[in-house]
Amino acid sequence: MGEQKANDTSLGDLRVLDLAGPIGLYCTKQLADLGADVIKIEPPGGDPTRAIGPFYHGEVDPEKSLYWYHFNTNKKSITLNIESPEGKKIFKKLVKGADIMVETFQPGYLDSLGLGYPALKKLNPRLIMTSITPFGQTGPYKDFKASDLIGLAMGGFLFICGWEDEPPSRVGGSQAYNMASIHATTATLIALYHRDITGEGQHIDVSMQQCVAHTLQWVPQMYDLQKRIMVRSGRLGVPLQECKDGWTNFIALFDWDLLVDWLKSGGGCADLDDDKFKDIDYQIRPEVRQHISEVTDAFTKSHDKRWVCEEGQNRGVIAIPCNTAKDVVENPQLNIRNFFVDVNHPELGEVIKYPGAPYRFAKTPWRIKRRAPLIGEHNNVIYKKELGLTSKQIAALKGRGVI
Amino acid sequence: MKTKIKKRFPMQGIRVTDFSWFGAGPYVTRLLAAYGAEVIRIESNTRIDGMRWQAPRKPGVPETYNISGMFNNYNPGKLGITLNLNQPKGIDIARKLISVSDIVLDNFIPGAMEKWGLTYEELVKIKPDIIVATMPVMGITGPYTFWRGFGTTIRTAAGIDYMTGNPDRPPIGTGMAALPDFACNPYHAATAILSALHYRNKTGKGQFIELAQFESTVCWTETAILDYTVNKHIQMGMRNHLPNAAPHGVYRCLGEDREVDYCAMPESEPDHRKKDERWVAIAVFTEDEWKAFCKVIGNPPWTKDKKFATLSQRKKNEDELDSLVEEWAMKKSPEKVMMLMQNAGVAAGVVNDGEDLQTRDPQLKERGFYVYLDHPEAGRIAHDGLTFALSATPGEIRRAPLLGEHNEYVYREILGFSEDEVNQLITDGALE
Repeated sequence: MGEQKANDTSLGDLRVLDLAGPIGLYCTKQLADLGADVIKIEPPGGDPTRAIGPFYHGEVDPEKSLYWYHFNTNKKSITLNIESPEGKKIFKKLVKGADIMVETFQPGYLDSLGLGYPALKKLNPRLIMTSITPFGQTGPYKDFKASDLIGLAMGGFLFICGWEDEPPSRVGGSQAYNMASIHATTATLIALYHRDITGEGQHIDVSMQQCVAHTLQWVPQMYDLQKRIMVRSGRLGVPLQECKDGWTNFIALFDWDLLVDWLKSGGGCADLDDDKFKDIDYQIRPEVRQHISEVTDAFTKSHDKRWVCEEGQNRGVIAIPCNTAKDVVENPQLNIRNFFVDVNHPELGEVIKYPGAPYRFAKTPWRIKRRAPLIGEHNNVIYKKELGLTSKQIAALKGRGVI
Repeated sequence: MKTKIKKRFPMQGIRVTDFSWFGAGPYVTRLLAAYGAEVIRIESNTRIDGMRWQAPRKPGVPETYNISGMFNNYNPGKLGITLNLNQPKGIDIARKLISVSDIVLDNFIPGAMEKWGLTYEELVKIKPDIIVATMPVMGITGPYTFWRGFGTTIRTAAGIDYMTGNPDRPPIGTGMAALPDFACNPYHAATAILSALHYRNKTGKGQFIELAQFESTVCWTETAILDYTVNKHIQMGMRNHLPNAAPHGVYRCLGEDREVDYCAMPESEPDHRKKDERWVAIAVFTEDEWKAFCKVIGNPPWTKDKKFATLSQRKKNEDELDSLVEEWAMKKSPEKVMMLMQNAGVAAGVVNDGEDLQTRDPQLKERGFYVYLDHPEAGRIAHDGLTFALSATPGEIRRAPLLGEHNEYVYREILGFSEDEVNQLITDGALE
């Protein structure tokens, strides 16, 4: 498939400069997958994110990071040293033609290069500049270093996760980064709506800590209204059932009779047909939970999790399999809906199956039309065709380490 | 075109007819409302939003449907009306409201909007450029269309629980923290709606959007999907570890000599004890950070041991490393550890609890994150604030609506019914 026309994507009219590290990659991925022309600006030699695993067949190579592949679909790549005087000049030219710029540097870094928002706004008043940092552009911790784990910790999510007898436990993936990124996408699009109406650009300051702190369910109100501190609760409230081949999640409280009927049909419900079990205050007592689990485990252990969930849901019981990545890839619902997309990697001579669209649009479909870029793959397109540099000039810039 | 209008909310002029309830849907419109969209929540006395009766509530405040802490935190800045969609007149009114709206959102099980004749195909006839978004759990098609689930179970199904925590114990994931409801699902939906608005600005066309919460959450199963499709490797929990960092963990710190109430579930009895759940997270990625880390902890002899000389050695002996780090951390407060590490350029942070977030964290305080507002029935209550600042068009958190609080405004002013007409609708039960 060639270049898409801008009018069958929602964001196809937009040029985005992507100077984001891991904390912001999902922001620009979303913009790119919705059609925006996203140009990843890598330092000469390649972006440090390329060193993050897992790797294609375990081969540690900047062109084989699956992390890079996942987060940089549809993007273009140029290499540019924005710290060098010549690099700055080129960068400013790019800013003039850009609609959005996403960056994740430490607060003040771009200002120190003369490339902060006030300077760029003069070049392009319509520019929307989105800055994503661990703690935001202001405040006593603005210069603190952080990673995904630190974001989960400082934002309060970590404290409520894990077993009672172990330290608080992080969630798999890089979810604090994803949270910061996805909030940044919406912030950028709100600013875009404003620009559509008024022509005015602006600067956006996203704090990962605040994004994480906005995912805490009861935590703020439990403290505010009752001065109680929510704490990690292990298996409590996670009704795991053991099956022949793994685990399922059962939420039977609302459907108690349905569960009891089902157990009876499968060999017996012990005393669970007593109405006292329908009372949540009774049901959540640890010893009662234990007892319920023993009865239901005895039933589910003789079946596989897919059968348990399909049969349970057919009977109206909320039963959900605890899926591995393999289960997810093989999931009937996802496959019948053609969720996964095949992405061609010509250099590998292979087509790779990727997770698909988080949302389905009737008119402007989400698409992956191109795998993540190679290092500087689009240097020629951007520097030659767009900025009009000659091959000689490009070679000279390369020689001086600018690109 | 360049008209400078100051002090204007960016989404002003956008009207949302919001049928969504519980957590994930209202989080979408919370964002739009904070930036000035007029969000009209359709509620009904015949079908109370479950969030209106959820714990926690403020002790001593008379029980009504207006005092739920979670409802009030999930719905700031919206207008609330009551409307009975099981009455023909109720459906007529919904259609009338949609005809003057820009966006319609629901998170019902598939089929509910059809039952009321409020499908995209019908709505586009009364408002040609309408944007209609629906957030089913599993999708509006497929063999599992009618599966039911919650945020926690969607997370389980998406594979996130399996790659979280201790691989030697049952996969509890993030426990009761329903990550998808408050992160990927509402924000993916908001991304979709906002980008559809941009498309509408360009072309004048609205459209239909489906966000299957299961699919949206699988997108956050992230590189574990490629790791399987490419390498046939199934990622499992790594506790707090990471392949490319060590030490990378959460360490117990000095407890406080002060009693607090810990609580495992909102309904459960509080666990009254010393504030001893004090933890710090530390993340050391590079050799420079490792050297700085060693210096902070006073370069004890074990840091020179071959066992810890390189990242791969530290990874091999990580459990031992963790216990040595914890031995050092346990004598200090997490704030102290964080400051020592940060001053040396090492990423570290307090594992903030609910109290720390609201009363201690100087960063959140300085940024004014929590917003305390007076509520007519609940008193002065906390709300999550904004997660980002827009320099030209800041947002604002305003309190959530009482049940049916804006009936007068919406039915009289927006829809133009006379007082007599409204009274008749009330008599007919359409506004129940």
